[in-house]
Amino acid sequence: MTTAREPAPYMNPYLAGLGLGLVLLTAFVVMGRGLGASGAFSTIVAVGVDAVTPTHAAGNEFYRGYLENGFGSPFKSFLMFEVIGVLIGGFISGSLAGRVKKTVEKGPRISTKGRMAFAVAGGALMGFGAKLAGGCTSGQGLSGGAVLGLGSWTFMIMVFVGGYAGAYFMRRQWR
Amino acid sequence: MSRIDPRGWGLNQRLAAVALTLGALTLLGSPSPGGAVTLDTRELADIVESEVDHITADELADWIVQGRADYRLIDVRSPEAYAEYHIPSAESATLRDLYDYPLYRNEKIVLYSGGGIHSAQAWFLLRARGFAGSYILLGGLDAWTDEVLFPWLPADATPAEVAEFEHRRRVSELFGGKARAGGGAVEQAGVELPKVAPPAPVAAPRKRRKLHKQGC
Amino acid sequence: MSAPFYRYALFGDEMSLILAVVIGIGFGFFLERAGFGSAKKLVAQFYFTDMAVFKVMFSAIVTAMLGMFYLSWAGLLDLSMVFVAPTYWLPQLVGGLILGFGFIIGGYCPGTSLVAVSTGRLDALAFCGGVLGGIFAYGEVYPSIAGFVTSTSMGRVTLDSWLGVRLSLVVFAVVLVAVLGFWGATTVERKLARREGADAGALT
Repeated sequence: MTTAREPAPYMNPYLAGLGLGLVLLTAFVVMGRGLGASGAFSTIVAVGVDAVTPTHAAGNEFYRGYLENGFGSPFKSFLMFEVIGVLIGGFISGSLAGRVKKTVEKGPRISTKGRMAFAVAGGALMGFGAKLAGGCTSGQGLSGGAVLGLGSWTFMIMVFVGGYAGAYFMRRQWR
Repeated sequence: MSRIDPRGWGLNQRLAAVALTLGALTLLGSPSPGGAVTLDTRELADIVESEVDHITADELADWIVQGRADYRLIDVRSPEAYAEYHIPSAESATLRDLYDYPLYRNEKIVLYSGGGIHSAQAWFLLRARGFAGSYILLGGLDAWTDEVLFPWLPADATPAEVAEFEHRRRVSELFGGKARAGGGAVEQAGVELPKVAPPAPVAAPRKRRKLHKQGC
Repeated sequence: MSAPFYRYALFGDEMSLILAVVIGIGFGFFLERAGFGSAKKLVAQFYFTDMAVFKVMFSAIVTAMLGMFYLSWAGLLDLSMVFVAPTYWLPQLVGGLILGFGFIIGGYCPGTSLVAVSTGRLDALAFCGGVLGGIFAYGEVYPSIAGFVTSTSMGRVTLDSWLGVRLSLVVFAVVLVAVLGFWGATTVERKLARREGADAGALT
C-alpha cells in the first residue's frame, strides 16, 4: 500500500471541476441523464426491506419504485453500476496519490466515538433530505444544476444555506 | 491579477477567460428547438410497407405471460374506456397526453386502441418525434378480444393449428377469457369482456415509471 | 441529431450498465482528485477556509452546461431528451436545507462518502450506514408525507423557461456568476489564511 509515502497535494479545483464536468457531459451525451449516488442507497434499502417483509415493501409506493425496473433485477440499474464505478475510481485516484489510509476524519477537539456518532446522524439527515428533494448533491446539485433545473437550483442554494447555518454549531467537530 | 496581458496570467485566470469567452459566445446562438421535427416520410412509408410497425395480439399475450418488462403498453382510448377494460399492464394515455407522457426514445412502445385507427395515428405522432421503437397492436382491442380472450378453432383446422389452439386456450384462461372450440363465430354474440382487468399471471403489471427515480 | 445516444437506442440496456461503471470511475476519480474523499476538506467550505466544494462543483456545472449548449447548437444533442429533474419547489427547498445540515454534521454527501470509503475513511462508512437509515426512515414515513413530497409540482421547469428569457442568457449569467464567485471565494480564503496564519493551512 502507498500509506508510507507523503500524500500528494490535491488537484487544482478548477481542473478537477473541468474533469468532473466532462464526465458529467459524457453522461448527458451518452445516457441523457446526469450522475447520482443516493438512488443506489435507496435501492439497497428497498431490497433490504423487500427481503425482510416483502408484503410491507409491496405496499409502499416508495420502495416499490426502486424494486421495479425494466431490467428485471433492482440491482441492474444505472446508478448501482455507476456507484461501483465511483468506488473503483476513488480508489484508483487515492492509490495513485498515496491517500488510501484507514483513518477517521475529524477535528482535534472531538473523540473518535463522537465523530462516528455525528457521521451516522449526518448521514441519516442526508438520506432523508435527499429523498425528500428527489436527489443529493450529485443528482440534484451537479446534474440538475448543469441542465438549469429550477428545483435543482433551489435545492443547491438551500444546501449551502443549511451547511453555513449549521457550521457554527458543528465547529467543535471540525476546527 | 494582471489585467491586460494574457501572457502573465496563471492557469486559473486562463480557465476563467476561456469560460467567460465561451459563455459570452452562447449569446450569439440558440440551441435547436425540441418541439418541431423533420420528417422522412419515405422512410416512414417504407416501415409501414414492410409491416415491421406492428405486433400481433398473440405476441403481446405471450410477452405479458412471460412477464417481459422491456416494453411499454399504451392504451390510447379514453380514460373511461380504459377504466372499463384494458389489457393487463397497459398505461392510459390519449393522443393529446402522449406529447408529454414520460416515454423514452429507446423504449419499445406498443400502442393500441379499439380498432386500430387511433393507435396508428399515435404511432405516426411518436415515430415523427423519433420514438423508433413504437409498434401498433394489430387489430387493436378487437383483435385482442377475438384472438387472445376468446380464441376459436376453425372446423377445418390442420393439426398444427390444433396444437397452437391448445396454447391459445391456456393463454386465454390466464387473461380471464375462454376459448371457443368449433365454429366459434356463432357464439360471437355471447362474448363478454372480463369485468375487471385481471393481473398478468407472471409479473405484476408495471406501474408507470416514475421520473424522479432518474435523478439521484 | 443522435445524442443522447441511449435515448436514441444506439445501444441496449446491458451496454448502458457497462457505460455506467465507466462513467462512475471517472466520477469517483475526479471527486477524489479534488480532495472530496476527505470530510475535513469538504466542510472547510462552510468555514470559508477552503472553498473547493464551490469551485469544483461550479466548474463542473459550467463545463457540462457549456458543452451541452454547444453540442445542441451544433445540432448533435437533443436537449429536450436530456433528463431534467421535475420541480417540486417546496419539498426540494426543505430537502436541500435538511441535506445541508446533514452535510455539515456528517461531513460528506452520498457521492463523496463512497469515495471516502474507497480510500479507507471509517467515518464515511458510518455515514453511509446513516444514509441507509435515513432513507429507511423516509420510506417508512413516506405514506404519510407523500402529499407533501408531491406538492408544489411545477413539472420540467428550467431557469430560462421560468424567467422567460433565452437559454443563452441564463448560460452566460451562470458562467459570469461562477467566475465572480471563484474570484470572491479565493479572496475570502486569502483573507482568512492571513488572519488565521498556519491554522488555515493545517486544515486543508
